[in-house]
Amino acid sequence: MATTVAPPRHAPAPPKYERGVWSWLATVDHKKIGQLYLYSALGFFLIGGIEALIIRAQLYGPDGRLVSAETYNMLFTMHGTTMIFMVVMPLSAAFFNYLVPLQVGARDVAFPRLNAFSYWVFISGSLFMNVSWFIHAAPNGGWFGYAPLTTRAYSPGVNIDFWLIGLQILGVSSLAAGFNFIVTIVNMRAPGMHLMRMPIFTWAAFITQFLIVLAFPIITVAVTFLMLDRFFGTNFYTVAAGADPLLWQHLFWLFGHPEVYILILPAFGLVSEVLPTFSRKPLFGYPVMVYSIILIAFLGFGVWAHHMFAVGMGPIADSIFSITTMLIAIPTGVKIFNWLGTMWGGSLRFTTAMLFAIGLVGLFTIGGISGIMHSSVPADLQQTDSYFIVAHFHYVLFGGSMMGLFAGIYYYFPKITGRMLSEELGKAHFWITFVGMNLTFFPMHFLGLHGMPRRISSYNANQGWDLDNHIATIGAFILAFGTLFFVVNMIRSRRSGAIAGNDPWGAPSIEWSLPSPPPDYNYATLPQITSRYPLWDRKAPHLTAEVPHSARGDKQSTIRVAGSAVATAEYGTDLQDDLAVVSFPSAHELGIPMPTPTIKPLLASLGLSVAFSGLIYREKELELIAKMQPATHHVSIAIMLLGGAIFVTALYNWLLTPLEPEH
Amino acid sequence: MTSFHRSRQRLTLALTAVSSLVIAACDKITPNSTLTPHSEFGRAIDGLWRETLVLGTIVFVLVELALIFVIFRFRRRDGSAQPKHVHGNTTLEITWTLIPAVILAFIAVPTVRTIFETQAKAKSSALQVEVIGHQWWWEFRYPQYGVVTANELYLPVGRTASFALKTQDVLHSFWIPELAGKRDLITNRTNYLWFTPESSYVWNGFCAEYCGDSHGYMHFRVFTVAPAQFDAWIASQKSPPAFGGGGAGPAGGAETATARPTLPLHAVPSTPTPAGLAVATASGDAARGADLYKRSMCIACHAVQGVSAGNIGPNLTHVGSRTTIAGSIYPNDAHHLMLWIKNAPLMKPGSIMPALGAGQFDRKTGMTVAAGGLTDQQIADLAAYLLALK
Repeated sequence: MATTVAPPRHAPAPPKYERGVWSWLATVDHKKIGQLYLYSALGFFLIGGIEALIIRAQLYGPDGRLVSAETYNMLFTMHGTTMIFMVVMPLSAAFFNYLVPLQVGARDVAFPRLNAFSYWVFISGSLFMNVSWFIHAAPNGGWFGYAPLTTRAYSPGVNIDFWLIGLQILGVSSLAAGFNFIVTIVNMRAPGMHLMRMPIFTWAAFITQFLIVLAFPIITVAVTFLMLDRFFGTNFYTVAAGADPLLWQHLFWLFGHPEVYILILPAFGLVSEVLPTFSRKPLFGYPVMVYSIILIAFLGFGVWAHHMFAVGMGPIADSIFSITTMLIAIPTGVKIFNWLGTMWGGSLRFTTAMLFAIGLVGLFTIGGISGIMHSSVPADLQQTDSYFIVAHFHYVLFGGSMMGLFAGIYYYFPKITGRMLSEELGKAHFWITFVGMNLTFFPMHFLGLHGMPRRISSYNANQGWDLDNHIATIGAFILAFGTLFFVVNMIRSRRSGAIAGNDPWGAPSIEWSLPSPPPDYNYATLPQITSRYPLWDRKAPHLTAEVPHSARGDKQSTIRVAGSAVATAEYGTDLQDDLAVVSFPSAHELGIPMPTPTIKPLLASLGLSVAFSGLIYREKELELIAKMQPATHHVSIAIMLLGGAIFVTALYNWLLTPLEPEH
Repeated sequence: MTSFHRSRQRLTLALTAVSSLVIAACDKITPNSTLTPHSEFGRAIDGLWRETLVLGTIVFVLVELALIFVIFRFRRRDGSAQPKHVHGNTTLEITWTLIPAVILAFIAVPTVRTIFETQAKAKSSALQVEVIGHQWWWEFRYPQYGVVTANELYLPVGRTASFALKTQDVLHSFWIPELAGKRDLITNRTNYLWFTPESSYVWNGFCAEYCGDSHGYMHFRVFTVAPAQFDAWIASQKSPPAFGGGGAGPAGGAETATARPTLPLHAVPSTPTPAGLAVATASGDAARGADLYKRSMCIACHAVQGVSAGNIGPNLTHVGSRTTIAGSIYPNDAHHLMLWIKNAPLMKPGSIMPALGAGQFDRKTGMTVAAGGLTDQQIADLAAYLLALK
């Protein structure tokens, strides 16, 4: 049942705009920015994974002494921060960037240069935080950074400064991208693409952006307060001056819980694309899937205090947050059932992408059920801050987010690169990951129930935790071994994978009508959208006849794409001229104005990081002065001013340069 | 009829005996289990846990079975027909929205009931205990008796213990998995927690909220004892330290003199001591140690009734009667005490107690202890004195 397109006569040459280092640094093309996000995030995935392996090696047996307690604390802080802000969010951003314009039938995002800026700010914030490793001063306050531990009185070093400044920088990136995608989705949909005809991934992306623009300002405020406390002597969290430490916790989780949905909804969206394609059936209950995303996002803002059941909020608050938490399980459960409904009666093809998607359905369910267990407040008083929670959120974040993102990578890699990932290596990756992930995280349920607290750098013998820790560590190394297959697959297939063609999977949405990789302008003529599954309508109209086609304002018209008709791998009709993939007309030939590449967004983000580095150096200076060692006040201030100057100059130039060449 | 009843009673008894044996056996394997509660609070939690576990398992099994069924039943075979394009089924979708809602209602009602029951005010006859968290040790005060101790908590079986939880510095969380759920210690606030221990044993307690460098080394022990034993303990803690400053006790005094409880394995700390840290002298003189203590910097931070009144570190009045030191991460014996006095920051990351041994490098301050530091002999004398403080 190999169903790829017959190999074309020539391998596709990479399109002109994709050559050279400069083309990447100065790019404003959403597809290239998407790829930058993808490969950077995968790089950080390896770094965060290595941190996890050291953690697991330390905890393999009792009284582990591989790393010191101080280093261990940095490792778990950076593992969490990295995986959340530098892996799962940017991997989702990779798909937002790459897919949203393609799925809505646009030529680019609404603000291409702001988009480039988002990426460069993300990468500088991530590098900024990781640089701290080189001076052994990585953040050590946990990814949640609870005050008062993170205030100057209890964390005098630069560790926390790196964390909060890094987080500020990353927040800028997420917010800029969030607004960009909202505008793109609202304004740039192709003719005929009503909201209820949008591909489900675009819906997930759309709602996620609202979560981002509503949740990130809250963490920005929380972190700004802490910054003011640490650098300018204010007393938001200074307990000696009577501050209430719960201010931080409420602000943090008011951001932190929506953040959980920021991490999971894009993965849900990807899986909702993959399952219908490989079941050869439309998504079961599309409207309900859309409403459940919206409901989850809405309720997601009303459950934050379930992270705080042990802080003593009183029975009324505990009861309310317990019930809202249970409520959010309902739309989540509906999604699981609707995915099962999608597969039910289908014709399932188990590609690697499909395996990862099914993996999400099976594993996220476990995380969801343990989530309901913590919603019962008294039970949570035993579970919270124990390994039971660690097990729970790894089933959500690895079994959910990462599985969904891997499904997305296997599914869209052919579109992005024009080549297929190896199915053999992919399946090895899936199965080893599946086994490794369950071996790593399932025993953690027992560890928590048997009383092992979280975030401890070692534990004594005879606590009944040895066996489960052995298993978890072995599982983690199996997981790492599985990841090797993925890395090899990515590297090899990018160069020598089988040629993909336009539509290797027989997918329903319009991005698959484009050549792989698509030309820089995406669509030569804007597609006319007449249903949720335009490609299936075209390839197998008899099957989609029963699909509700509201013809609100539509003229029935075919989807036309520059240089190629629709490739149809599975339906066996209308196979196009393969050569069309090789040579499509350039934007110039077609008279399509494209935004000019520019380095200014990169320079602006660089200025931001330089300015913040000055702040860190200021700490060093003050420390030296306190120790009565020679130091000067001027260097740090000079660095800050220089950074500010670079930022302002770059931004000013950027605003004065027109987006497109004069024409 | 009666005989039937009797036999059933016997069966129940036998089953209870068997299950309590099983629990005892489990205790050995998993001594900090939340699944074998020994207080009414613990059992209330356990009831909810079991309910969610049963319901969760049913949902889990049904979903995964459906998934597996779908995978095998609907896999694509050669010549599989194109599936029908079904778009949804309103009745079905409403059904699987309502069923979880009903299941959740079954969890929500007892949850809310238990929340209000367990957070009600404790009985006024309860034993009052103040728990004060420090980086990284526990201070326990018994205001009804005027007793202050550290890292080891004594509770009478059958009497409700009501805890007022506070912290001196950052956030901590008070957790004895076998006895109760956890409750955070919040700076500038007082939290409350109460439960009634139901059996006598020694339990491990932990700090469950990340609190900095030695978060993983902030343990404590809970001894639940018969009321008479508790009264005796209170009496001994209230009396001045047994050490009169007289005879020279051997440094290994731990094994002699007063009976310390024999500890089950899980309550004996196994933390290894840092490589390269050693004390040359084997035995110290308690009298010399007592003299030295009064003149040393120890008194700035530590209290010994009638001798010193420092309140930064643990109260040492009856330190010799405790089984562990340093947040219950080392056994309380001459060897560990000496190493601790010599270089605490090396024994416990971030320790606020400085290194005191002459020539020792203090990793916290980054400085080496100058000539004024303690010699190994002085350290041994101090350890002997502390162990004699019963």
